[in-house]
Amino acid sequence: MRMVFVNPERCIGCRQCELACAVEHSSTKDLASAFLESPTPRARVHVHRGPTATSAFPNECRHCDPAPCEQVCPTGAITRDAAGALVLVDPARCIGCAMCAVVCPFDVITFHPLAGALDTTTSVAVKCDGCIERVARGDVPACVEVCKVDALVYGELNELIEQGRVRTTGAVLAAAGLSTPEWPEGDPLAEWRSFGAEREDAGARAHRLTSVHQSPAPAGAPTSAHEKEATP
Amino acid sequence: MTTTYHQAQDVSRLSVQSDAQAMIAQAKAEGVETVWDRLAAQEPQCGYCQLGLSCRNCSMGPCRIDPFGEGPQRGVCGADADTIVARNLGRSIAAGSSAHSDHGRDILEVFARLADGEVGGYRITDEDKLRRVAHELDIEVDGASTAEVTRALASELMDNYGSAKGSLSFEVRVPEVRRERWRALGITPRGVDRENVEMMHRTHMGVDNDYVNILLHGLRTALSDGWGGSMIATELSDIMFGTPQPVTSQVNLGVLRADHVNIAMHGHNPLLSDVMVAAASDPELVALARSHGAAGINIVGLCCTGNEMLMRKGIPVAGNHLMQELAIVTGALEAMVVDYQCIMPSVVDVARCYHTKVISTSDKAKFPGATHVSFDPLRGDEIARDIVRSAIEAFDHRNPDRVRIPDTPVRMTGGFSVEAILAALGGTPQPLIDAIAAGTIRGAVAVVGCNNPKLPQDREHIELTRTLIEHDILVLVTGCAAIANAKAGQMIPESAAAAGPGLRALCESLNIPPVLHMGSCVDNSRIMQLAGALANALNVDIDQLPLAGAAPEWYSEKAVAIGTYVVGSGITTVLGVQPPIFGSPHVVNLLAGGLDEVVGAKFAVEPDPYRAALLIRRHLEAKRAALGLPSLSEDELLGDAQAATSEARA
Repeated sequence: MRMVFVNPERCIGCRQCELACAVEHSSTKDLASAFLESPTPRARVHVHRGPTATSAFPNECRHCDPAPCEQVCPTGAITRDAAGALVLVDPARCIGCAMCAVVCPFDVITFHPLAGALDTTTSVAVKCDGCIERVARGDVPACVEVCKVDALVYGELNELIEQGRVRTTGAVLAAAGLSTPEWPEGDPLAEWRSFGAEREDAGARAHRLTSVHQSPAPAGAPTSAHEKEATP
Repeated sequence: MTTTYHQAQDVSRLSVQSDAQAMIAQAKAEGVETVWDRLAAQEPQCGYCQLGLSCRNCSMGPCRIDPFGEGPQRGVCGADADTIVARNLGRSIAAGSSAHSDHGRDILEVFARLADGEVGGYRITDEDKLRRVAHELDIEVDGASTAEVTRALASELMDNYGSAKGSLSFEVRVPEVRRERWRALGITPRGVDRENVEMMHRTHMGVDNDYVNILLHGLRTALSDGWGGSMIATELSDIMFGTPQPVTSQVNLGVLRADHVNIAMHGHNPLLSDVMVAAASDPELVALARSHGAAGINIVGLCCTGNEMLMRKGIPVAGNHLMQELAIVTGALEAMVVDYQCIMPSVVDVARCYHTKVISTSDKAKFPGATHVSFDPLRGDEIARDIVRSAIEAFDHRNPDRVRIPDTPVRMTGGFSVEAILAALGGTPQPLIDAIAAGTIRGAVAVVGCNNPKLPQDREHIELTRTLIEHDILVLVTGCAAIANAKAGQMIPESAAAAGPGLRALCESLNIPPVLHMGSCVDNSRIMQLAGALANALNVDIDQLPLAGAAPEWYSEKAVAIGTYVVGSGITTVLGVQPPIFGSPHVVNLLAGGLDEVVGAKFAVEPDPYRAALLIRRHLEAKRAALGLPSLSEDELLGDAQAATSEARA
């Protein structure tokens, strides 16, 4: 199941995802003119600060299944897409009763006039559509593309979770002093090269996953990439 | 908004020039990061900043305004989108004006020393111009010695920077009607430093919050550059280094020589390049180069330093802004000697991949990783020789297997100072005025400004210029725009063949190109001077003339200042890259509309060169009609433009 995953600890609160989302859901798809459209295109992701001034969370529809919003919608305006991955709103059927917003566990449904609705003067439920058009043509969702710090990432859910888990494992073990990355000794160039070759042999995937947050620390007990992969 | 190049496999989308394409491919093959890679890494760029809606001016912020209306509509201080956009634009104008004006001051300070005689290899080269300019500024020249005139002129111009004088000396070149307009609007510049400092003051939190008031001061700040700092830089450079006269030279990376010690001068101020050119022909140093196995010393120019050396000494130009990294990728460059402005910090990183030495010279522009030689103009000649010696030493480390000079140079003609243009016209602007009045020339357009990696390098400059000359519009170029056109072979007398019949006839009779190179970016002041002179000759205001400006590939704050003083002087200007102002429809409406009512000129944004050409032609024809000159109807304009576009596509 491919979806947008959030690494909240990486979010710097730049709110670029909000802008990119609104532009993506505009008619012109051009920043300088999108905000002048009527009705105003709306972002479907919202960044709010957390308990500290430097924490933030980009909040958008998690596309639940079963989705409470879908279950309570009296007019059947909320449905799943053909693949069953996305929860979508049909603005033509929406009566703006806000039952979906009442039951939404994440409070991500907002109400605004919407271009393309039958009546563009009344508010209808507006929420993330998973950038269904972009994804269909092979792009990642707009919020993910614009996120410079990988607070928003897109991919297979379990792989994204695994990446986080591997990072966490590495960080926990390093903090506990149970693991330190290998550090070559002797002829630096030759050692580095054999170090690189060894890691490559150990599997490119393990290398990629473990190296993201582990910069080499001072010399200590060597741990091979194999062992690290086996640790979790 | 921006084109994403990171997926582009085809280097032809990055630049239209074959030398650039070859070197971009080479850089990619060797894993050398260039400006295009960094742009791709930055994209998509910050939407708030693109719209001008972010403010970092105080630490209650940083703040952003949500253009879609859902989020914050005011910064912490209460500033709205209009205030924030105007403040940001105002600071850009001040930065650009300050850059030009500080360049002018550096020259002025050396010029002032010349009253006591030759120093550091500098001298009064054009005494006629010294006396002419001094006389224009009401300085007594009859019977006065060169030293006396120099001292008096230096003192007069130094007063332009402070507040004591209260006005700019070169205001005398502005038509009286325009000066009256400036007075009525309260935008007459009172002093170069004063306007720039005041802009920084006004844009501090809690000072000027009225976007109209801020933008009016933006005009005044920019005018203090165009008719102040930049004009001082141009005029004194002419007096000290020679007033440009038509000169033939060569351009593109092909000007590098495989068997020579190649030194690229990059930056802006001719103080450095002038003594470097002299040092490179010093027989002792040439002999030293030979002893290192080189055939000689080859000085080439990049960017505006390139233009300064080309205009006065006919030194070949290696390229414009986006060529600075690629010149190093040739593997044939011993040294890149820089002073200030537009020098990417990345040249140091690119140079690390080759034997090239980056030598910084200005104490106000240091580049981590470069060799810094503090350039004291009072010992200019001596320091220049040291730098050349250092470049010769680098020749020993050149790897001949990595030398690939990608192209053969293209011939070009430059050197069209106002004096040179008037001389070509027979000493008076009358032949040009007659041709414009008769309609054989429809008007004149200044195509100026930079390169911007968001656009295919040089394409907009070349296509816009070509389309204009095809329609009998004389094109004046400066800066990177000039180098772009030169590389395209559009700046030799023979390129008159590509011009419309009227322009072609005029150019052929005078043996000049249809695209006249007027110099570096500070030399846009020459265009101001020429426009003022034409208006005075016809007894009209500048905005009544069939003139326009264009900055098709602009990137820098200096370009913002130039565009603003050009518009403030009455010349409508078309930009090819969106400035960060679109977050405030009020500011956009003022700059693209309301300004026309008060200064008789406005801005437009049009990235497509053919549509920009049509827009400019429509503007020129409207000005012609208002002057009672024969003008084309909209149908005639559209017919021509469609024919030209389909020709271009075919």
